[in-house]
Amino acid sequence: MRRTVLSAAALACTAVLAATVPAFADAATPSPVATAPTHTATPTPVPTSPAASAPGSTQPKPEPSISEVPEPVATRPTEQGQVSVVPKGAPDTGVAEESSGSGSQGALIGGGAAAVLAAGGAVFVVRRRRATGA
Amino acid sequence: MTLFSRRAFAAAVLAPLLLVGCGGPGDHGSGAAQDHRSTVANSPRTSGDSSGPAHTAHALRHSAPVRLRIPAIGVDTPVMRLGLAADGSVQVPPITADDQAGWYGHSPTPGQVGPSVILGHATVGAYGDGVFRDLARLHQGERIVTRLENGSEAEFTVSAVRTVAKAAFPTDTVYGDVDRPELRLITCGGPRTGDGYRDNVIVFATLSSTMSSTSP
Repeated sequence: MRRTVLSAAALACTAVLAATVPAFADAATPSPVATAPTHTATPTPVPTSPAASAPGSTQPKPEPSISEVPEPVATRPTEQGQVSVVPKGAPDTGVAEESSGSGSQGALIGGGAAAVLAAGGAVFVVRRRRATGA
Repeated sequence: MTLFSRRAFAAAVLAPLLLVGCGGPGDHGSGAAQDHRSTVANSPRTSGDSSGPAHTAHALRHSAPVRLRIPAIGVDTPVMRLGLAADGSVQVPPITADDQAGWYGHSPTPGQVGPSVILGHATVGAYGDGVFRDLARLHQGERIVTRLENGSEAEFTVSAVRTVAKAAFPTDTVYGDVDRPELRLITCGGPRTGDGYRDNVIVFATLSSTMSSTSP
């Protein structure tokens, strides 16, 4: 009797721990991790002469000075090109869901639940055997 | 088996079932970004190619875009200004629930001669779909409207939709000089790789009409 109660309590504690471990692990990162640097939203000044050959663009337009953050060094400056600074590489415009994190959590919870179920089944079998006097 | 031990046993068996129920929805929605199908129209024109809409619109003055509308895929979004990231790549809009498109500030403004570049996310992590989630579904001939800071509007017509591997991003085709006002819309697409995507979806469009503001 006492052993059964203790076994049941131990199983319940195991199940609760299996569930709370991933929850604690995830607590520090509630928001998705942006692949872009932290200054992603920082507006940057626009070159004052966007296209020398563009008709209608000879009048200088005052650009709103939103930020004084210096631009990184141009990766490939074009000589009077319509795009004054050509970025390097491909844009990273798709941050997928954190599949790896949620997958490991799911595996942990599922594994813990399966272990607890198996242990519970074993206890049940033992109890039945004892009850039937086998 | 006593009543108390039966209750304890029932609690032990039911606990994992409840836990499984709590942990179940963890992966829901992860496939939302996988349905993006590339709709390849014609290959984009290279610089100097003169094929395009029948009528030619006049180029507009320099004025930053403030809004972007793509009726065919239900996009109506503010446009922010983007620059370069620290690694020299183009900045992208922030990862937020209500993400928006961004205009690359070193490219011409929409309606000016040259390739104006606007970027948006296909997906924004746990927030789900991004503003350009359906960009690959655009077809040749569909409209894109940009409203500028000075009140003008530039309407573009899609000339091509391409899905290209990021490893082979066509820098010259996207950022190279052209002889008329054009627009490039860029997002991600293709299969997922880790926390990102393998490909970029690029929409090429040419200016089809303009509506100038009353101010000179």
